[in-house]
This record gives sequence, C-alpha cells and structure tokens, in this order.
Amino acid sequence: MTKVVILKDGILTFVIGPTGPEQRRLANKVMEEALKKAQLPFSQIQYIVSTGYGRINVPFSDRQMTEITCHAKGVSYLIPEARTIIDIGGQDSKGIKIDRSGKVLDFVMNDKCAAGSGRFIEVIADTLGISLKEVGELSLQSRHPAKISNICTIWAQQEVAASLAQGVPLSDLLAGVHSSLAERIGRMVSRLKIEKEIVVTGGGGKNRGLLRALSEVLGEKLIVPEEPLITGALGAALIAREIVEGAKRDKIVLKTKDRQLEEIEIL
Amino acid sequence: MTEEQKEAKPKKRMTATKAAASIGPLVKEFITETLKARAEGKQKLAYTFIVCHHEEILRAMDVIPIWTENFAGVCGAKRDAERFLQRAESLGLSRSLCTYALCGIGFDQWREELGEMPPDSPWGGMARPDFMISSGQILCDPRSKWYQASQQFMPDVPIYNIDLPYPLFQRDQDHREVWGYYHKYIVKQLRGLVAFVEEQTKKKMDYDRLRELVDLSDRTWNLIDETYRLRKAVPCPMGTGDAMNTMVPICFMMATQRAYDFFVELKKELEEKIARGEGEVENEKYRLMWGGGLPAWYALNDFNYFNSKGASFPVETTYRMVAPLHEMDIPETKDPIEHLAWRWLGYWTFWYDKARKRPDSEPDVERLINWIEEYKIDGIVMHEAFSCRTWHVGLIWQLHQLGKIYKPIPLYVVGKDGKKEVVMKELPSLILESDIIDITSYSEVDTRNKIDAFIETLESYRLNRAY
Repeated sequence: MTKVVILKDGILTFVIGPTGPEQRRLANKVMEEALKKAQLPFSQIQYIVSTGYGRINVPFSDRQMTEITCHAKGVSYLIPEARTIIDIGGQDSKGIKIDRSGKVLDFVMNDKCAAGSGRFIEVIADTLGISLKEVGELSLQSRHPAKISNICTIWAQQEVAASLAQGVPLSDLLAGVHSSLAERIGRMVSRLKIEKEIVVTGGGGKNRGLLRALSEVLGEKLIVPEEPLITGALGAALIAREIVEGAKRDKIVLKTKDRQLEEIEIL
Repeated sequence: MTEEQKEAKPKKRMTATKAAASIGPLVKEFITETLKARAEGKQKLAYTFIVCHHEEILRAMDVIPIWTENFAGVCGAKRDAERFLQRAESLGLSRSLCTYALCGIGFDQWREELGEMPPDSPWGGMARPDFMISSGQILCDPRSKWYQASQQFMPDVPIYNIDLPYPLFQRDQDHREVWGYYHKYIVKQLRGLVAFVEEQTKKKMDYDRLRELVDLSDRTWNLIDETYRLRKAVPCPMGTGDAMNTMVPICFMMATQRAYDFFVELKKELEEKIARGEGEVENEKYRLMWGGGLPAWYALNDFNYFNSKGASFPVETTYRMVAPLHEMDIPETKDPIEHLAWRWLGYWTFWYDKARKRPDSEPDVERLINWIEEYKIDGIVMHEAFSCRTWHVGLIWQLHQLGKIYKPIPLYVVGKDGKKEVVMKELPSLILESDIIDITSYSEVDTRNKIDAFIETLESYRLNRAY
C-alpha cells in the first residue's frame, strides 16, 4: 500500500492507496488524493520525505529515509511509551528498538522469506478463498489450532489445502497459520531483547487473530495504533517537519523539488 | 544437467589502493600458471586449503598449490558458480552444505566427466591435481570431507589429511599447560606431510630451503601486521573492500618473495596516503569493523555502497590470518617444522591471555573489543553466509556476548520521566544475510535497504553521543 500523511500542527489528513507494479510509479495519484482531501494546493507542502521500498520512486520527494527510522518516529509520536515496534507488512516484517524520543537503537528485518511477512497470510487467504479482512476474526473462533509444519509459503499453501480437504475447520487452519507466522516473527524480534511497550504496526496490526497469536508467543501485551498502516508515512512527515523547523531555526533556505505531479518512467 | 546461463556481469568495484587493484590479474596469473604446469607435467600440483601453515613445505618441495576455496570464490565473484552448484545438487548434495565445497565438487565431476575443462571455465578452470591435502581441523569440517567426495571422480588421486588442532579456550586453564601435547602431535602431522610429499614427488626435502621459506613467511607475517595497523589512521586509507583483495597474498601466496614485496609496496602506498590525509572515503563519517563472516564474493560492490554513505572499514576479522610473531609467547626453535607448529598454536591462542583478564570475555570477543578501541570503531557489520557453519554460530554468539560485556557508547536517551539521561550502549551492529557464492540467496535491494537503515542508526548515535 502507498500511504500519504500531511501534517500541520497534528495530522491534517492521511490517505492509503494501493501499490503494485503499475501503481508504484503513480505515487502522484495518492498524493493528489491526499491534497484534495486536505483541500491544499501542492505548493503549500513545505517539505516531503518519502520512505519504504519505493522511496526512490517518488519524484517529488525532497529526501528519502528508510522505513526503520520513519516507523520509529511515527510510533513514538503516537505512543511515547513504545520501546519495541513490530512492523508486519506485506513485503517484510521488522523489529525496531527505540527510546522515548523515537531514536532507533537497534533493528532486525526479515526480507528473505514470504513466510515471515504478511504475504504468508495473503497467500493462504487466497488459497482458502476468503478475504483478508475476514481472516483475523475467523481464526479467533478456533478451538484446536492446526499445526502448520511447512516453513515455505508455497508448501504451507499446499499443506493448508490438503488439511482443508481432510475436513480441518477453516478457523483452526487460520489459527494455525497465525501461530506459524507469529512464532517466526517472535523468533526474529527476540534477537532485539524486547522491551515494553510493544507496538504492532503494518497490516498485521489489523489482524486480531495474528495479534493474539503474537501476544501468546511473546508473553506480552501488544499495543496497536488507531491506524497501524500510516506510522511509517507519519514518521516521514514528522521528519520533514523537523527539517523545516531546523532550517527556520538556523535560517537556512531549504531546497525542495518542483511541486509537480507527474508520472515517472521506471522502465 | 542444466547448464545455466551466466549471471549479468557485476559492476566493477572501485578500490582505494593500487595494490588492491592489482590483485585480479595476479589471481588470474597464478591460476593460469597451474594450468600451464599441468600441461607441462614437470611440477606436481596439489589441491589444498588456506590457513594450514603448510605452504612452506609445499613450496620447498616445488609443489604448486591449487587453492580450491579460492577457485570457488573466483567463480562466485564472476557470478559463474551457479552451474557448478547445480551440478553438485544433481549429484544428490544439498544446497545448504558449504557452497565452496559444492562448487568444487560440481566442477571436479564435470571436468572428469568431460576429460577437459567445462566450457568457458572461469579463468581457464581448476587444474586436475596430482594429490590432495585435506585438513581435519577445528576450523571447518568440509575441509576433511570435500576431497573425499571429489575423489569419487578422481580415484587415482591420493589424499593426505593433516590434522591441525589447537587447545580451545578455557578461562580457568592456561593453554600452555597442554599445548606441548598439541605441538608434538602437529609436528608429527607435518612430518607426515613431508614424507607424503616426498613420496609423491620422488624428491627429498631440502631443510635449508624450508628454513629460508619459513623465515620469509615470518617476515611477511610481521610486515602484514605492520601494514594493516596503518589502517588505524583517520581517515582510514584502506578498507575491508580492498582487504578482500589483499587477502590473496596472505592466503594464497605465503612463502613467496612476491607476497613479501606486495606488502612492502602496499605499506609504502598506505604511508603515502596517510601523509596526504587521503582516506578510503572522501568525508569519513563512520568507521566500521567487518566483524566476521566470509564476504558475498559476487556482491563486493556493497563495500562501495557503504563508502558512498561515508562509511569506511578500517579493520576486519576475516582473513587477518596473521598476528605479530614477536608478541607471541612461543618457544624458540631452529627446526622449521617445529616452528610451523608453534606458529600455528601461537596464532590460534593469541587472544587467550587477554580474554582471561576480562570477565565473561572470550578470545574472539576480546579481539573485537581490542580492535574497536584501537581502530576507533563506530559499528560492526557481520555477514551470515547461510552455507558456512564455521562462522555462522559463532558470529551471533560473539555479537551477543559483546553487547553483554561491552557498552562503550555514552548515549543521550530520553528516560521515562521525559528527561535526557546518559546510558552506556553497545555498538550498533548489522547482520547481512546471504552466502559466499550462492547468488540466489542475495537481494541487492534488500541488502542496501538494510545498509541504509544501519547508516541512519549510526547517524542517530553520532548525533546523540553524550561525549
């Protein structure tokens, strides 16, 4: 997903739009929508920071920062008590240790394997023919979570299909899938020596079944921001604001890109 | 069997020193020389492994070593290992075994099947050996198994195994109490190697020549140490990217005048760079340590990427296979074989005394701590190559232990009451994950995303250092 957050004193507006091979080069569409929603001309945006895997594909961005720094900043702004962030996205999952000011102290990332990211649940939901929105609630009805033994998404997909054919209830299968992903994420973030409060962001934060499984694996309560998908974009906007304020303080004129919304050519 | 198309040629990596830039042709030259020697049939060729302290014996007997790990690394660096790995897989070997060994075994099988080099072999290919010298040592288990597997395809090629143990670190025991036993055993192993090579070459060992070569190696060891210590300079004149080239004379050319001369030149070059205040990167912002793991040979450009962010690597634990001899507490002897055995033991126990003095330290961790201080290091980067068990387990443990006992950074953090306080923190670290030569385990986008995040973390530490 592509997200835009526009800040004034607080969050003025935010938009969450789809990302795909085509949409990535259309970051301007999501920006356009955000400006429309905020009723602002593009020229009024003082500074833009882009983040995430597609950060270099945003032609109007004045600076790029990684999602690690941006999530840290965004989460710390919303939940100052946060010390560990677990971001579960469709592309990867990561753990970030921060201090109260949102400074990154350490991080880990899983970018190697779909079975450690939200993609795992997307693939399984697709196999089972249910929407991503239903997955979490359905799994909470489980009484005997299935054991998903395969560590590869593709094999797990087959394992789930075979179990379904054998009559294993859908809710048990989904609970098993959530446990499998939660265990994997739990092992990864354990490297950070987790400290409370633990905040979950990304699409995974919207999945109650996954949150319950992860909470059980870690043995800790988890906090989810009201809108867990925008913390990275929010952090980027906060960094942009800090840059603008710093420039004002130091009486520096900031160089910014042209405020034009154009499609970019990637290929 | 699949004959995979070669991967796209990687972009040429920039080196900071002329010496490092000269290494590619040098490796090509010694691989070519092995092929020439094979064709001429005048000298014997031996497959063997690096870090066995036996080069002097081989060179004194005019045996040409074929460094099988080096050839696998060359295949990796040229992004041409996949077809040999696939060969090994088709023989029933798992991809999760040492990929150096898989590449070598796949190559051997293919060469023996064809009766000539596989098509377009990197730099002409790896010559067929007359014998193989494996090494049963604590360092790495494929070193005793690899050649056994290759021997299936070359049943006429004999193997000699040298066992090279060393006493493992024990906090409450001085290793000197037991190292006499180890020494006796290693001397016997090395004398056995001499007898084996004499039998293979039908020549007697010239011990005067051996003594000269051991002396040459010793002088080269000390020179390498002096040269690498120059990298303590700020800005650092040469980084780990270059050291992954200059490891060639250290690992593959010891006991040769050329290796010695190489380091004379490199030392001079570094001294000149230091005098000019010239660093590996123009504006050095971060000084990093390559804390271990073999590199991803096909992705050495990542060092340039670090450099582009202002990060330099003044020191690495990988391939620093020497320690200053005058600082080793080893007995004097005029017998070159006995000296080789003492040097082996001296090298592997080098950090033991220091580690004993620091609570909860261990030699590998102690080395990290010492070098962090000596080289003014801001962060550690390690590479977990999935197929290398030798490094993998130890690296994670070292980082964990280091973080536990060593917190050198006074960092301002905002405490629970919202006030700034100074907390002593461990060094930031980054673990890169891929493999030595299996490019399918590597993603440039993901690796560089991690590097970006690590650089941002280093910057945050830099800005928030209390003093």
